[in-house]
Amino acid sequence: MEQEAPVGVKQGGDAGRSLLSRYAPAVAPLLVLASLAALPLASPGPNTVRLLFVTLTLVTASVGWNLLGGFGGQVSFGFAVFYGLGAYTAALSINGGIPPGLAFLLGAAVAALASLLVGLPTFRLKGPYFAIATIGVSEAVRVVMTNLPWTGGASGYRIIEKGRFFQMHHYYTALALAALAVGISTLVRRSKLGLALIAIREDQDAASDLGVNPFAAKLLVHALAAALAGAAGGVYARYAAFIDPDGVFAFRNGIAILLMPIIGGVGTIWGPVIGAFVYGLIHEEVVAYFPQAHLLIFGSLLILIILFEPGGVMGLLQTSLRFIRARSSVGSHS
Amino acid sequence: MSAADLLNLFIAALLLAGVYAAMSVGMTIIYGVMKIVNLAHAGFLMLGAYFVYEAYDRFKIDPLLGVLLAFPVFFFLGMGVHWLLVRRIPTSDQPTLTSLLLLFGLWLVLQNLGYLIWGNADRAILTPRTLSSFEIGPISFPTVRLVVFGAAVVSLVGLEFVLHKTWFGRSVRALMQNNEAGQIVGVNVQRTAQVAFGVGIAFAGAAGGLLAMLYSFSPDFGAPFLLRAFVIIVLGGLESFAGLAVGSVILALAETFIILVLPASYQPAVAFSLLVVALVVLPEGVAGLWNKRRRWA
Repeated sequence: MEQEAPVGVKQGGDAGRSLLSRYAPAVAPLLVLASLAALPLASPGPNTVRLLFVTLTLVTASVGWNLLGGFGGQVSFGFAVFYGLGAYTAALSINGGIPPGLAFLLGAAVAALASLLVGLPTFRLKGPYFAIATIGVSEAVRVVMTNLPWTGGASGYRIIEKGRFFQMHHYYTALALAALAVGISTLVRRSKLGLALIAIREDQDAASDLGVNPFAAKLLVHALAAALAGAAGGVYARYAAFIDPDGVFAFRNGIAILLMPIIGGVGTIWGPVIGAFVYGLIHEEVVAYFPQAHLLIFGSLLILIILFEPGGVMGLLQTSLRFIRARSSVGSHS
Repeated sequence: MSAADLLNLFIAALLLAGVYAAMSVGMTIIYGVMKIVNLAHAGFLMLGAYFVYEAYDRFKIDPLLGVLLAFPVFFFLGMGVHWLLVRRIPTSDQPTLTSLLLLFGLWLVLQNLGYLIWGNADRAILTPRTLSSFEIGPISFPTVRLVVFGAAVVSLVGLEFVLHKTWFGRSVRALMQNNEAGQIVGVNVQRTAQVAFGVGIAFAGAAGGLLAMLYSFSPDFGAPFLLRAFVIIVLGGLESFAGLAVGSVILALAETFIILVLPASYQPAVAFSLLVVALVVLPEGVAGLWNKRRRWA
């Protein structure tokens, strides 16, 4: 997945790179964050805010998935479980009188605990066990939740909060959580854990020969990723004020959480964010225009990305950037 | 519950195990030869079900004959899918992110093509056989289940014959045991992989047709069976055909007898629980136990 610099193009050559291209990677995220934070200045309609709110919760889940799938190379189809457990935990806690911030934290904790249930039996082994187990787990949990009487079973669960509803309050919660997720992702990528995960992704046997404990690393990052997805589910549940097993535990949520990092660029910091924005902003339009075929479209997109641009949007950007650089350097030589 | 009831449940489980084995064997071949987990297996099970349904509904072809027809049709379909998609991704000695995602994408495409063509209404194949049964003493045999069991066993025996008596079969077994050694002795990997993929899909299609005689189906049909197939393969030790049969029986027994202790609505969770138990207790599958015994002996 990592692309090597072609021979002859100097990557570190300061002379060839303008100030803009050197500082852009650091400044651009701050600009994005600032403009998202300054959203009220544009006085958007409630529907735009809702769309952005949902997109930001998706960013959190997508960045979480990428910690495990992108850095560690472990494909999970079951992140809907963590999203749903976070949603239900937060909902039960808020109705129990626990302040929302703590409720989200509890949601994250329960999701992280649940991640052990899948991780403990499967991460010890090499091979496809983890990926396949995740296909079953969201279905199993959805079935159990549908039949659980004290959360309302199939008819869902309602969150009752006294006081007025401030949409922007929810929006900023989601924005803060998404920023936190990106921060965690950056830290993990730069830490020893991040290096260990990438080593495991590239060659697990070689990694463990070099002293990495694949089992512990995968278990830890799975829990971290699950916590992020759980917190996202909790924030969403408080906003929606009503959740049901078919909504939050649906297999299609797991598919969406996996699609976003793939669209944006798996294994990068910003790919999952870009992917979540692409998916979050076009998804409803696609569903509205092709109610029968929207998953057909996303499935085809997945196949095309895997076959032609495994790096997603980020890979596409890199390729075109390199193409432009190569063109301009050819131009200066002639 | 009387002894006769228990015996009836037991027979039902054994008959179910036959279809389960036929349904999982395609996934085992593809995994064995290419180390790819065919997540699109569920999609081909579903297509197989609709293939047999359409053949019966439009052309009055007996479902059993339809299953027989499904073998060549899905064989060439599988070869085509391999040529179009699967051969383009890098191979490895264990499933890669790329292969999992590619076949998952294919599953999404197949499933939603199904929704486009057939809508989301449940269909069923009803023949005079469907509701008839005959009794031997206190035990009743539903005819359709016996027929499906027979067809599954015949197809598995046929496959066993192909794997042991033909060059293609020898190549498949060589690649399953040791990919590199297979290449050294001159097995054409690409060719064998393509044919093996075709055979795997042929079994998926035919098994889908068999399952369609037992259950009603919709384009979402394959999903619950995908996990079951995988549980069976894990129980069997991923690459062993004898283990596969044992795995099928274990899963079928567990699913059938669980209704004695838990409400039937929890049944979908059985396969997953069994997977977790199997991974903790028997990571090498049932076949691993035999290998260990052999090593000790």
